[in-house]
Amino acid sequence: MASVEYVNVGKSFGAVKVMEDISFTISDQKFVVLLGPSGCGKTTLLRMTAGLETIADGEIHIGGKRMNNVHPRDRDIAMVFQNYALYPTLKVFDNIAFSLQVRRQSKDEVKKQVEWAAELLNLTPYLARYPKELSGGQRQRVAMGRALVRHPQVFLFDEPLSNLDAKLRGQMRYEIRRLHDRLQTTTIYVTHDQIEAMTMADEIVVMRDGEIEQIGTPEEIYDRPANCFVADFIGSPSINFLKGEIQGTAGQQTFHAGGMVLPLPAQTKAEPGQKVTCGIRPVDIAVGPDGPVKAEVVLVESTGAESHLLLTIDGQEIRAVAQGRLRARPGDICGLSIDPATLHLFDAGSEQRIN
Amino acid sequence: MVLTPAQRILRALVAWAVVMLFAFPIYYWITVSIKLGRDIFAIPPKIFSFETSAKSYEEVFGISLGFEKGIAVLPGGGDFYMAPRLMDSIIIAVFSTAVAVLVATLAAYALSRMRFRGQHHFVFWILSTRMMPPVAVAIPMFFIYKDFGLLDTYTGIVLVHALMNMPLAVLLLKSFFDDIPKEIDEAALIDGASRFLIFRKLVLPMALGGIAATAVLCFIFSWTEFLFALTLTQTSLKTVPVVSSTFVTSTGTAWGNMAALGTAAMLPAFVFILLVQKNLVRGLTLGSVKQ
Ligand SMILES: Nc1ncnc2c1ncn2[C@@H]1O[C@H](COP(=O)(O)OP(=O)(O)O)[C@@H](O)[C@H]1O
Ligand SMILES: [Mg+2]
Repeated sequence: MASVEYVNVGKSFGAVKVMEDISFTISDQKFVVLLGPSGCGKTTLLRMTAGLETIADGEIHIGGKRMNNVHPRDRDIAMVFQNYALYPTLKVFDNIAFSLQVRRQSKDEVKKQVEWAAELLNLTPYLARYPKELSGGQRQRVAMGRALVRHPQVFLFDEPLSNLDAKLRGQMRYEIRRLHDRLQTTTIYVTHDQIEAMTMADEIVVMRDGEIEQIGTPEEIYDRPANCFVADFIGSPSINFLKGEIQGTAGQQTFHAGGMVLPLPAQTKAEPGQKVTCGIRPVDIAVGPDGPVKAEVVLVESTGAESHLLLTIDGQEIRAVAQGRLRARPGDICGLSIDPATLHLFDAGSEQRIN
Repeated sequence: MVLTPAQRILRALVAWAVVMLFAFPIYYWITVSIKLGRDIFAIPPKIFSFETSAKSYEEVFGISLGFEKGIAVLPGGGDFYMAPRLMDSIIIAVFSTAVAVLVATLAAYALSRMRFRGQHHFVFWILSTRMMPPVAVAIPMFFIYKDFGLLDTYTGIVLVHALMNMPLAVLLLKSFFDDIPKEIDEAALIDGASRFLIFRKLVLPMALGGIAATAVLCFIFSWTEFLFALTLTQTSLKTVPVVSSTFVTSTGTAWGNMAALGTAAMLPAFVFILLVQKNLVRGLTLGSVKQ
């Protein structure tokens, strides 16, 4: 087990700069998720950690040792690929045993380790099969088994669940996390799925275009997103953005957007007249017959447990989520109440958080 | 897609028509080999009903199949005794294919997986060697072979066929290796395997289909190559295409004998393709990667 440290890491492919000056530290035994839209450089960063891409600029340290010129096999890491990359001509047993056999461990030891991993992953009945004879979920578990038997210092996962159906994904999320709680191996997990990040991570690193936007626990990232991008990326249904400006003096400032006025928390420190973007999460909006903000219902979708509403306030669209079933119809006028403490204010220009 | 009966029948008809188009010349060639000389150019052509005779085969292979021994002297003079010639062709095709496939497989894997300076140019350069017409180098090759003592030897023809097949074999195999996900190599690299172990134990078994296909192409090329087989040999070996050409003489063409040799020459190639066909149709990645 080990910590992983990135120091001013940069990478270009030819003339295309993929990332620049990435620095952060993953402490020992943590489950860290690299989260970001596709193409932002997550896989590249992971492959540099594994030694599959050269580290063009900066340094990567694993367990305090500089890894720049260390061969992948000597980094003591294990990687699970997005497409699993199982060895198609080897049976499941040999797939899992491959790394041990290559390292010339004794037959008994190999057997013991493979059986341990198979037991842990419920693969015991499938050890004599070929990868093509397995379902997607089983292949995924073989890929994990291959990583487990190595007992590496660090696990690297590259979108391991993206090829599974939704139900299986939920189950594997839980199993991977439980495995981590049991083995306590430092894990770097790459995904573009914010649900995976929120449910599994000790710490999330949000990336965009090769840059780190925010690092924090899932709660911090959800409760206090550092900028509009993070606020928009985390949470489902996604956050509402209203463009407007700040009025009033410190202590009793208000947010004005068209005819709508929202009171702000007393500790808000913004310039009067400052142009801002106000983020309101749909779940933070209470919909009732007599809230202070009047809105017209455009669309009601019920998921069974909750109702998703699309509303307009002075022509601005806004989404809200209400618990239970709502007896609202398109065209109805209802009242919204919003707790000022749940508002997220971002500067309209820099898009950085100001409250 | 659901077809109406009419569409189904039409499809079957078209399929059969295409098969006929390819099969008929072969059928006709075989009939020529067992026809009597006077029936070969009969008008109207005797396609299905004719007198059969093994004479052409007896003459070409110098064996008696239990029929009356052939009427002597044919164009070219004397009995042709072709069985050793067929053997020459087999030896040259098998060894040149083996050399070409062995070298090309290693080269193609390296080109597919390793990054080096000028890689792109290298691939193009390989291809460019096929752009020159072989006849342009035939005469220089003759002198080179003469100086090196390779003229009229198996080694010489095996080498020249292997070299001529190499560019296409490398590019073809490279495309097969490119289709095998490189993550498999990378996973094995992290697992601690050496490049050669990865190649031998993981990649090679997956590429067998592509290698078989390439081998078939190389074999057929060598089996039918004429120019170098003619110019770089004298008497100690003669491949089938070269021998075939000797049936065309100033006093006439021995169509029956040529057809008999051609028919016999189809067999080894046919056997070779049968042998590798199991690998030809095998799926390439066998489900290692989710599609
Ligand atoms: N081998 C490569 N050659 C050129 N560009 C690449 C290569 N690998 C990745 N890229 C580019 O780098 C960027 C980041 O890719 P990647 O790390 O795969 O993103 P992610 O995993 O976050 O989707 C993309 O714009 C991609 O096109
Ligand atoms: Mg990726």
